[in-house]
Amino acid sequence: MLFKVAWRNIWRNKTRSIVVIASVAVGLFAGMFMMAFFMGLVKQEISSAVETQLSHIQIHNPAFADDKEVSDTIANAAAIIEKLKNDSTVKGVSGRVVAAGMISSSSAAMGVEIHGINAADEKKVSSISGEMKEGIYFSGKKNEIVIGQKLAEKLGVKLHSKIVLTFQSVTGDLTAGSYRIAGIFRSRNSAFDEMTVFTNDNELGQLLGTRSGIHEIAVILKDDKNVNNAATELKKQNPALLVQTWTELSPEMALITGIFDQIMYIIIGIILLALMFSIINTMLMAVLERQREFGMLMAIGMNKPRVFFMVVLESVMLTCAGIPVGILLTIGVVEYLAKHGIDMSAFSKALSQFGFSNIVYPELQTSMFLPISLMTGLAAILSAIYPAVKALQFKPAVAIHKI
Amino acid sequence: MSYVIEAHNLTKIYNPKTIPVYAVNGVDLQVEEGEFTALVGPSGSGKTTLLNLIGGLDYPTTGDVKIAGVDITKMSENKLIDFRLQNIGFVFQAYNLIPVLTASENVEFVMLMQKKPKREREQHAIELLKEVGLSDRLNNRPTELSGGQQQRVAVARALASKPRFILADEPTANLDSKSTENLLDIMAKLNKEDKMTFIFSTHDQRVIDKARRVVTLVDGKIVSDEKQTQSS
Repeated sequence: MLFKVAWRNIWRNKTRSIVVIASVAVGLFAGMFMMAFFMGLVKQEISSAVETQLSHIQIHNPAFADDKEVSDTIANAAAIIEKLKNDSTVKGVSGRVVAAGMISSSSAAMGVEIHGINAADEKKVSSISGEMKEGIYFSGKKNEIVIGQKLAEKLGVKLHSKIVLTFQSVTGDLTAGSYRIAGIFRSRNSAFDEMTVFTNDNELGQLLGTRSGIHEIAVILKDDKNVNNAATELKKQNPALLVQTWTELSPEMALITGIFDQIMYIIIGIILLALMFSIINTMLMAVLERQREFGMLMAIGMNKPRVFFMVVLESVMLTCAGIPVGILLTIGVVEYLAKHGIDMSAFSKALSQFGFSNIVYPELQTSMFLPISLMTGLAAILSAIYPAVKALQFKPAVAIHKI
Repeated sequence: MSYVIEAHNLTKIYNPKTIPVYAVNGVDLQVEEGEFTALVGPSGSGKTTLLNLIGGLDYPTTGDVKIAGVDITKMSENKLIDFRLQNIGFVFQAYNLIPVLTASENVEFVMLMQKKPKREREQHAIELLKEVGLSDRLNNRPTELSGGQQQRVAVARALASKPRFILADEPTANLDSKSTENLLDIMAKLNKEDKMTFIFSTHDQRVIDKARRVVTLVDGKIVSDEKQTQSS
């Protein structure tokens, strides 16, 4: 019956209770929506980085990873690539010739990382071929180069313009090659677009003097959950090589996801803290308005633990009524926006500098519902303590006669 | 002679350190089982304070109160709440029912706190409400009842815990004459048939006329204590 009394007490002042329930619902929605938004943003960022730069797994000669010396190619790379191509868990594998160099147009020059690739293989591990803004992703002609839009702007070049790549060969000589721009891409990451160019692996190998040597093997798996297992297996098979997962290649990216949950809990905590004051205020008003009733209850024999429990129960019920509303609101809004996306093009310049997309698709975090609900319940209990203690301080003889 | 209530040299002083007010001043009072006693006196004479002290709602400055031989002035607040639950029924001037509960739930509530089983609670609540003439109002909330009906629910609630006695503070002050008559008849019947002890503070002459003992207080002191024959 205490539950019945507590529940009915909540509805004695409907407007006030609805305001509190709405506050809880909107507060939770705000917190959970932010979580969904940022989780969507971060996952898009990770997926973009994996698809354009990192892949799931990369294999290098350990010496190359340290010094980027073009002579440090992967021994027996062709056999490794062939084996991976035949692995049913692997979606795509691409061998890359990688060199640091200078790109020059008639008006400007910039430092870049040159990726010599096999276009057919690279298409299976990288999304760049699908992000062409002008031209095509290699036609098979000689001396073709694909560059980023940002780089093209800085160099003042257009599609089919000629540019020169200069780099150090395996013998230490400065070598240059002339290329024609076959395509201009624009990925989500403008920094990547500015720093990376693609050309044919064989042609680059010839100029570098590495011939068929490969510096990097990029692997994309069919299921990204298998990354660690697959990397472990590759490490076993190639103990002399450096096998790294995307989290090892880009620890800051892994760190973002790691600390993201904690940050979100802190934000939810701050929202709940603000909500607590609203609940304390409401419960305190409810208790002070009912002094006579509490006096009567204690007079007829309701002991202090029961009085305390009743106030806490009212607070918890009031708050808990807002939790499902907040969750349903979040599910509805996030599900809709997960399909249609949020257009952030007003901030596109700033977002693309960090590799974020213009359209953000929030991702619902259903696993957060339980901990957030528990946190809210705890906030309700904590909020009820002061009003409940206040109720216990009433003296029945005095409280009964309060108007 | 064994008394239900024994108060010895009972004093309650408000503002003892500033301007002391002797609400109750050296009162000695004994109440036997089955009494129908009215505490009368002008406003501020100490009737309500005396009832609060007897009912364990307040602690005296000096003196003691024994209920069935147990000194309640030495009890802790928590023990006193439990003692009240098991031994004393209260009827208040403003009815003080729980507004969110129906008449029968209000009566049941006291038994719930006594941890009585649900079935027994429901059965007893119906019986008590029938006894006070409200068998057709079991499921009505206080706001759906008249003042007289609410006060009868309060009497049923006071009886629900099977107390040793019932303290009623100005029980008819907010009632019209018909409701007052009705309530007094119920209380007198309970007193006569069930030997329920009633002590009430009142200004109401109709209530005083029904009492078998009238204790008059002036300035916190008992100035007269008379037994009287019932007028009706």
